[in-house]
Amino acid sequence: MRSRAGEGGTRVVYRGAEADLLRGRWCGLDAVFKFRRPFIYRLKVLDDAIRRQRTAREAEMIHDAKRSGAHTPFLYFVDMGKALIVMQWVNGRRLKETVSSLSSEGLEHVFAELGGEVARLHASGIMHGDLTTSNILLDYDNKGTTTNNNELTLIDFGLALRTTRLEDRAVDLRLVKETLTGAHSEVASKAYAALLEGYRGEVGPGEVRAVTRQVAEIERRGRYARVE
Amino acid sequence: MGRFVVGIESTAHTFSVAVASREGKILSDVREVYRPPVGSGIHPYLASLSHVKAAPRVLRDALLTSGVGEGDIDAVAYSMGPGLGPCLRVGAVVARSLALSLAKPIVPVNHAIGHIELGCLLTGTADPLVLLVSGGHSMVVAFSYGRWRVIGETLDLTLGQLLDQFGRHAGLSSPCGVQVEGAASKSSRYVPLPYTVKGNDVSFSGILTTAKRLLDGGERFEDICFSIQETAFAMMVEVTERALAFTGKKEVMIVGGVAANRRLSRMMEFMTRRHSASFHVVPPRFSGDCGSQIAWTGHLAHSKGVTTSVEEASTRQSWRLDQVDVPWRE
Repeated sequence: MRSRAGEGGTRVVYRGAEADLLRGRWCGLDAVFKFRRPFIYRLKVLDDAIRRQRTAREAEMIHDAKRSGAHTPFLYFVDMGKALIVMQWVNGRRLKETVSSLSSEGLEHVFAELGGEVARLHASGIMHGDLTTSNILLDYDNKGTTTNNNELTLIDFGLALRTTRLEDRAVDLRLVKETLTGAHSEVASKAYAALLEGYRGEVGPGEVRAVTRQVAEIERRGRYARVE
Repeated sequence: MGRFVVGIESTAHTFSVAVASREGKILSDVREVYRPPVGSGIHPYLASLSHVKAAPRVLRDALLTSGVGEGDIDAVAYSMGPGLGPCLRVGAVVARSLALSLAKPIVPVNHAIGHIELGCLLTGTADPLVLLVSGGHSMVVAFSYGRWRVIGETLDLTLGQLLDQFGRHAGLSSPCGVQVEGAASKSSRYVPLPYTVKGNDVSFSGILTTAKRLLDGGERFEDICFSIQETAFAMMVEVTERALAFTGKKEVMIVGGVAANRRLSRMMEFMTRRHSASFHVVPPRFSGDCGSQIAWTGHLAHSKGVTTSVEEASTRQSWRLDQVDVPWRE
């Protein structure tokens, strides 16, 4: 399929809820073109503002996240008017699709790594804002199996925020938890425990206690939350 | 040998009794809706008094108009929760009394799952991604591994509460959804309101606060209604779209009281078209709370042996749908 945005020779590789991803070349580099298409159901004035704002925020946050030590793609080019970001093509598969094929140790390892990644973001004042298993890439080698180091890359920073509030860090972890129980219920508790373990390794037990307490607090606020 | 289930609904403002057949035919659905005074919301105790008064007539009418004899009844189902305590207790008392006097099993039903299962029955959907939007819920759910799973939901107010509380602030009487929709259709002037999507979740409290302040500051009611709908609905459709991309479901269905809003369904329809998913809205007569949702889901549950004893047939005000095992779905 030919692209509507970006360079010639690109092709659509993924149609997400919010953006289309096209793969192509940028100055000789393997690149992905992320184009936030207009939502026809949304009022135009509202839609334009949201797409512009998220494009700008995503570019800024991917850059800042890299500085925190977290793994994110390299940015090549940003066009706010077109709501377009060109960035490094990462050879990985979405964690969502790989969770079920991971061994028990592999699962623990990957989620501990993820906990570390998220902790590094949080420690430098960044909230990802959209930590579903669709937005985490797992490296794999040419044979299609995961590499030994199971390196993760965080993508989709369109809802990321610069923040130092405990609440925002807890919202991030709660979304991982919600995604796990919603879409990967068979491994949810094990994966979440490993994630907290990895998080602890990066920021220490006191911070983990504080964040998990806040996660519980958010859940209590939820509709018809279980009162424990 | 019975062939019908009686369903009793009383979670909030509606007291309703319905009779459904095993084949999914609704033989009767009688309702009495408690209307709070202008400017105020549902007072749980006053609503329950209204239900107590309405119960005998509603029950009698539902059984009589269904034309079903005592011997044809399989079971008595009731809304165990979630909902307002005093209101739920009226339904539970009626259900226990009826089950005892007919000597039939009693089946507890989760009200939210009732909305979903009745929606599936009436729209012919098999495995939809569901947007449940009402005064009590605003969530996106999908079935997986034996339960309805919550993919995203509101972190504070529901859509129904947002529309109601703003409407009441403007002097309307609850429920205000229809009047807000009517006013919104008279405007096309957008006043910016906070658009808050957090991952798969949404927050409506900022919209309510800002909208009230704008109204007090002299903005036109119609313009604010228009802007509330455009903002809040777009947020809800956005998280539904995310959930659709995430789950890969092929059907999308809206159920719950706010499903009756035409602007919301139009937006959802636009969205689902792009994903080549089919789109379904529960018919307006069955979008709000009703006995049918309990009778039909009661039948599904009873067919898999879900029953309880009269002693255990209590109420659960905070019974989330994702805590309920659903043995009648694959």
